[in-house]
Amino acid sequence: MALEHVKAVIRPSGLDQAWEEKQKLGRQARFLGGGVDLAVFAPSSIEALIDLRDLGLSTIAFDEGEMIIGATATMAEIMESPEAGRCGGGLLVDVLRQVASPLQRNIATFGGTLGSAHPWSDVIPALLVLDARIGVFDGAARVVSTEEYLAGRRERMAPLVTSVRIPSEPALGASFITFGRSAFDVGILNCACAVAQEEDRLKRVRIAVGGTPALARRLKRTEQAIEGSSLDSIPFTEIDPTVADEIDVRDDRRASAAYRRTLACVAVRRGIQKAVERMNGGRT
Amino acid sequence: MSERPKDGFAVVGTSVRKVDGVGLVTGKPMFVADLQLPDTLHVKILGSPLAHARIRSIDTREAESMPGVACVLTHENTPSVRHTTAGQGFPEPSPYDSRMFDPKVRFVGDRVAAVAAETELAAIEAIKRIHVEYEELPPVLSMDEALAPGAPVIHDEKDSTGIYDAARNIVADVDIDVGDIEEGFAESDLIVETTTETQYAQHTPIETHVVLSYLDSEERLVLRTSTQVPFHVRRIIAQALEIPIHRIRVIKPRVGGGFGTKQEVLLEDLAGYVTLKTGRPALLSLTRSEEFIASRTRHPMRVRVKIGAKNDGTLHAIEMEALSNTGAYGSHGLTVLSNAGSKTLPLYNKAENAHFFGQALYTNLPVPGAYRGYGATQGYFALETAMDELAEKLDLDPVELRRRNHIRVHEGSPIFAKLGEGREGVSQTVKSCELARCIEIGAEKIGWAAKRGARVTDGPWVHGVGMSIMMQGSGIPEIDMGAATLKMNEDGSFNLLIGATDIGTGSDTILGQIAAEVLGVPIDKMIVTSSDTDTTPFDVGAYASSTTYVSGMAVQRAAETVRDQIAQVAAPLLKAEAETLVIKDEHVVAPDGSRVSLARVCERAMYESDQFQIGATESCVPVESPPPFLANFAEVAVDTETGRLRLLHYVAAVDCGVAINPKMAEGQMEGALVNGIGYALTEEMQLSSRGRVRNPSLFDYKIPCSLDLPRLDVVLVDSYEPTGPMGAKSVGEIGINGPIPTIANAIYDAVGIRLTETPFTPERILEALQKKGAASRDAL
Amino acid sequence: MKIGLTINGQNQAFEATPGESLLDVLRRNGYIDVKKGCGTGDCGACAVLFNGRAVNSCLILAAKANGAEVLTVAGLAPAGELHPIQQAFLDEGAVQCGYCTPGMVISAYDLLSRNNDPTDEEIQEAIAGNLCRCTGYVKQVDAIRKAGAIMRGEANE
Repeated sequence: MALEHVKAVIRPSGLDQAWEEKQKLGRQARFLGGGVDLAVFAPSSIEALIDLRDLGLSTIAFDEGEMIIGATATMAEIMESPEAGRCGGGLLVDVLRQVASPLQRNIATFGGTLGSAHPWSDVIPALLVLDARIGVFDGAARVVSTEEYLAGRRERMAPLVTSVRIPSEPALGASFITFGRSAFDVGILNCACAVAQEEDRLKRVRIAVGGTPALARRLKRTEQAIEGSSLDSIPFTEIDPTVADEIDVRDDRRASAAYRRTLACVAVRRGIQKAVERMNGGRT
Repeated sequence: MSERPKDGFAVVGTSVRKVDGVGLVTGKPMFVADLQLPDTLHVKILGSPLAHARIRSIDTREAESMPGVACVLTHENTPSVRHTTAGQGFPEPSPYDSRMFDPKVRFVGDRVAAVAAETELAAIEAIKRIHVEYEELPPVLSMDEALAPGAPVIHDEKDSTGIYDAARNIVADVDIDVGDIEEGFAESDLIVETTTETQYAQHTPIETHVVLSYLDSEERLVLRTSTQVPFHVRRIIAQALEIPIHRIRVIKPRVGGGFGTKQEVLLEDLAGYVTLKTGRPALLSLTRSEEFIASRTRHPMRVRVKIGAKNDGTLHAIEMEALSNTGAYGSHGLTVLSNAGSKTLPLYNKAENAHFFGQALYTNLPVPGAYRGYGATQGYFALETAMDELAEKLDLDPVELRRRNHIRVHEGSPIFAKLGEGREGVSQTVKSCELARCIEIGAEKIGWAAKRGARVTDGPWVHGVGMSIMMQGSGIPEIDMGAATLKMNEDGSFNLLIGATDIGTGSDTILGQIAAEVLGVPIDKMIVTSSDTDTTPFDVGAYASSTTYVSGMAVQRAAETVRDQIAQVAAPLLKAEAETLVIKDEHVVAPDGSRVSLARVCERAMYESDQFQIGATESCVPVESPPPFLANFAEVAVDTETGRLRLLHYVAAVDCGVAINPKMAEGQMEGALVNGIGYALTEEMQLSSRGRVRNPSLFDYKIPCSLDLPRLDVVLVDSYEPTGPMGAKSVGEIGINGPIPTIANAIYDAVGIRLTETPFTPERILEALQKKGAASRDAL
Repeated sequence: MKIGLTINGQNQAFEATPGESLLDVLRRNGYIDVKKGCGTGDCGACAVLFNGRAVNSCLILAAKANGAEVLTVAGLAPAGELHPIQQAFLDEGAVQCGYCTPGMVISAYDLLSRNNDPTDEEIQEAIAGNLCRCTGYVKQVDAIRKAGAIMRGEANE
């Protein structure tokens, strides 16, 4: 019932045209990719849809050590692509298996996920730890970091997401955990970790915790506290206070802030341990 | 009374396909909203934003002038007859405290007004333009607030009846005792006492409440409705709309799940009134959000159990005190409260002294109603927790403590007579009880002996096992009535017309199987029609686990009468005495082996000689309510760092008498168990400080999905109930009572914490673990 | 707007507002085998095959549905016949009230048409978005396993 006032559907044949239409129509118009968030969350004031289906944004490719995921490729297609398994230590497949339901994964897209950036998003913490970059278009085509994209989407005219680019990094070890009430639930907390190693020391440590209920963000002080530690003596107990301090937790319907803090410390420890186990192609 | 047939059954006991199955798997139009009539008006309801208020004024003029609006209804232009919405037998044991629209609103979402319009969208737009002025009143948002001296009076109207003490917000008060409870405790060697609390939970049938009303060609009101109680709907609508019963027809097509929430006359009054007023069909269906806010829920209850026992482990005194939150209206308030005691205490009949007392209270909160288990679910949490605590104090295996104390065959309990459905019950002795065998099988399957107390660890996970036992009932003795009509067709097939209400439970099929068994035909020769108040005989409907036992006995009797008629017609054809004939494989067979087909018999009766319609109507009012019995065993693992719980294995061994259709009986158990698991672990309707439901969606209210299943073993233990049709009792409700106490007891075995509040969320588990850890540190 | 669809092999054109759901469009035009349980993608009762994939039809906007191929449960087998999945659901007691059944069967169809020998875990994953309150899922998993066996030719119908 939400979108009963939509009168126009525009099908641009190119990115320039799509962007122009959006500029012209402003907040009354929304891009239509998968459409899941439009169907569930969009306000009934929307009057125009800009259909992205003819823009060639649904391909998945591998190019120069980077997996390039079109903004309108479905999550199911991403999961099933051979590239996904090779990418970021298999993190993408792990995460997507736990996102929503198979029915929704056949519709939902990364473009939609980034465009809505729901605080419970499981995909966004994964992108943060994989150093994913976002291809955007706002009159010109650019590639920005995930963090830059997330900061920019709160601006008046957020750019259109055209692709998500994930560096290959086969030696990466990555893990993801989400704590939902049931198996088909968003998490009261989620945590993505990714690590690599140099000689016997951890490097490129990335930790993103979300659903706290705030959107995922990297715990950079915690990362720094672990970066460089020797693999068999990672200072987990010492970093608990840093984790607890760095995350943005609040009480909400699903859980208390205090519980989330406890959970976050456990999640980070287990997440890093698992990521370490999976480095260099080791799977558990 | 009957015995197991020596040669076994031909149709009963076989998992035949559902008689309505083909239509369901191919998506035929079988549900209420699948019938689309031209000219249908869509009805939308305006719900109150406040938990407690008087309506000072309603201005509907703008709404009425909106395009497509046929009518706008409020308390000012609709009937004001007080009735109950509870679908129970007359006279209903629930207060008459509801009217179609009320000048007062009593919970967030309570009806304020309604619009009927050409389209759903038009109705929604008009709803937004109804202007209401409220005089806000202080709300009562908990049971303790309801009981506090000087609490606001929720039902202060003069014309409601059947409320125990409206001035103190008490809908019902129950107090019964056996023996002398105080002396009983004084004589006991050991005493345990525990109090448990259960939460607001909801049935969430996948099909929400829906009704389509229309006038037939004689301008009688037809209500095509998703209901468990077609005959109660007819009677209560006649009362509420002030029209005669004979001008109403209620048809129940397929129902997309009920579980108790559709044992309620929730929407039919409104849709029916729109149709009477406009002459047009009216479709009223609740959105999922409205289903959460403004349909029915489980009664949240606080239950205290105190048990006194002897050193040898025999129970000597049991006291149960129950406080039930019955929300803004009292539907099912008294009876759910009573069942907390009546379906639990008789289980431990060795205790000579017993006391059950409690109250059901009004609050300005969403309205509870009937829900599978019906009070027993809440009662067993307290009772089986207390039993586990007693076992520990006695240093006795919990299984052994149950074995020493549970009711056995040929035994009764004074509770049966003292506590019925809101009034005195009916005395009975148990005639079938395989509970001992259920316990034995369950303990073996879960690996009880090896696992209990072992606390096997696996990283941060600690394993534990827990168990519980329970009973329920099969129908309401001397109150429920079901009837069945059979008529024969000339190809040897039969029409079975039953009021009994199949809400997905498969009752059409199993009742068909009972008739087919008696009449010697395969199931596809039994054409079942059910739940149409014009064409099927009376039945109370689908509740109290009555359908198999009560309606089934009516079917069996009707089939036996018809069988006798068939024998009378066949006797001259076979030149034998009617009493010597049997029916087998669609033929009437004489002692000398000669036979004649059923088709031939009916052809003769229909066309040839002394013609009459072979057929009969029979009824059944049960004189007892033989309990099914259940033993539950569960293995859990608790993550001591996060409080998360994994339910690894759940075994349910049930004695339901003969299972008419084993796969269906298993299906009833499996569904009830998984619902109970959700109730134990993840389901919780959360209320704001102003009484509003904060999570009225399946996104936020989590019921189990396919990935939430433990390894689930349901065992139908062989049993035969001599008073039941084909030896059957019932199985519809009992399963849902198991998971809460069983999982609670398993958690205790694993990590030594006693949870007394549901749901057992990871946060609650961790908090209890931390408290326990702090306590043992303090003790050092 | 007018949207063109192929539904169960038949070309159809329907009037629709661009922002309404495919679920509403289908039911309004007589495809009542597609059920509504929530309207927000949480229950899966409305699942249909959409360009070969099982989706919640309540989450597909009419504008997006324009030009698509849709399969509903009524279109799985010719009239009077049952698809092995439908047969298995009946034989295994996997249908109780039947309201979640069409969506459940569609999810099963999607799974088995790409992997007709799934593990039990894969079956449970495939129907994770289809909520059922009656069955506890046990017999639905049994039925889908059996349907796979029938489709592989290893079991009798």
